Amino acid sequence: MKLRVVHACLLLVPLSVFIGFAQKPGGTAGKPQQRATSSSRAPSTDEGGLVFKANCSRCHAAPMSFTPRTTGTVIMHMRVRATLSQQDEQALLTFIAP
Amino acid sequence: MLLLRQTVKYQYLSIVLLGLMASGRLTSQNASDSELTAGHVPMISGGAGYIYNVNGGVPTLEPQINPVLVFPFGQHVLLESRTDFTGFFQRENQTSGPYKGKVFKTVEYAQLDWLANTHVMAVAGKYLLPFGLYNERLEPIWIRNLQDSPLTATIGTRTSGAGDGLMLRGVVTQTANLTTQYSAYFSARSGIKQLESARTAGGDLSVFFPRPRFEIGASWQRFLQGHRVNNSATYVSWQPAAAKVDIKAEYDYSYYGHGYWLESAYRLDYPSLPKLFRKVQAVGRIQELFPLNGGGNGLPPIRTERVDFGVNYYLRDDLRLLSSYGRSLSSAQNANVWNLGFTYRFMIPLWFGGKR
Repeated sequence: MKLRVVHACLLLVPLSVFIGFAQKPGGTAGKPQQRATSSSRAPSTDEGGLVFKANCSRCHAAPMSFTPRTTGTVIMHMRVRATLSQQDEQALLTFIAP
Repeated sequence: MLLLRQTVKYQYLSIVLLGLMASGRLTSQNASDSELTAGHVPMISGGAGYIYNVNGGVPTLEPQINPVLVFPFGQHVLLESRTDFTGFFQRENQTSGPYKGKVFKTVEYAQLDWLANTHVMAVAGKYLLPFGLYNERLEPIWIRNLQDSPLTATIGTRTSGAGDGLMLRGVVTQTANLTTQYSAYFSARSGIKQLESARTAGGDLSVFFPRPRFEIGASWQRFLQGHRVNNSATYVSWQPAAAKVDIKAEYDYSYYGHGYWLESAYRLDYPSLPKLFRKVQAVGRIQELFPLNGGGNGLPPIRTERVDFGVNYYLRDDLRLLSSYGRSLSSAQNANVWNLGFTYRFMIPLWFGGKR
């Protein structure tokens, strides 16, 4: 019985990867909203987007919105917690608060 | 009288929890649309939640609030602190009678950070021990996919999960394809209330590949008081860009035991699915612990296996309902573990303006 449960669980990982890859990527994951849309994009916004998606999801679901006045504080906090570089910090600031 | 006091405490905690949720919501609505530049104002962030846990037939009510105070001084110095308020309420006779319990208050960390440059960030004060994936990164109630900690969570985190002293961390190298990160610390022994820590030294080294979103790392710690032992952890984390899967695994080893956990979380967030299903996250975890030298120090004395399955439902990105079922298997007893509840992530600015 125990062995069967263990095997069932081990199957869970490849199964979930297979299901995930079988679906087309898309959905709501993207740029977090600052309660308003910005018409202009800085040149490194794409880089910031990659940093945002790659680093946030290492630990948690990326938040979809920030209160603008705390954005810099949040990124400082995450720089320490996730050991981000200065380059990542700047890219995130450009992406979230251009 | 005691029961009345506990009930009042419990009600007070619930009111604070609801108040935080409301204030977070109101703050969000009041944010000016014209403020699009990053601000550096102090804030209180964190998580709150309420968990109904049944372990081996014994129900426990666990309301929790973990506020994090984040106070920047310019753009290179940051003061941050997290306090945990968790209530544990159980029936008087475990399965019958009125609920009784108390609220535990713990300062989990209180640290001053100096963000010198990419390669060096200095942390002083009480900080979370960077050991493995769980203690520093996945422990907050709103982050963890399953509410129960892994069996190996006490390895490398004695005695309080935090260290008092100095930690250096930063990025060793960074290219477009990989980032190498490190942390190294020394902690002094302390028995001061809310500053409890053990005399330890250790560090963590990890390599993150941003394109495949794959991370591999290792932690090491030398416990330098009483019975001096080494602790180590090896971990991997993978969030493939083409799939909404989050896979994490860790192997921990100490003098008192060794074990592993493997967790997979799958978010059904695809446009082709009905909206109802897109907010669902399915989680599975398997873990096994093998005690050595009699176990102890937070580890069970007998070999234990556990499997968990959970379904979380994201009402919003900051508010989710959660449910899970686990089965704990050991030669002493097999037990079912149920969890039902919700978690909420809040973020409240403590000042106006502050645009950069």
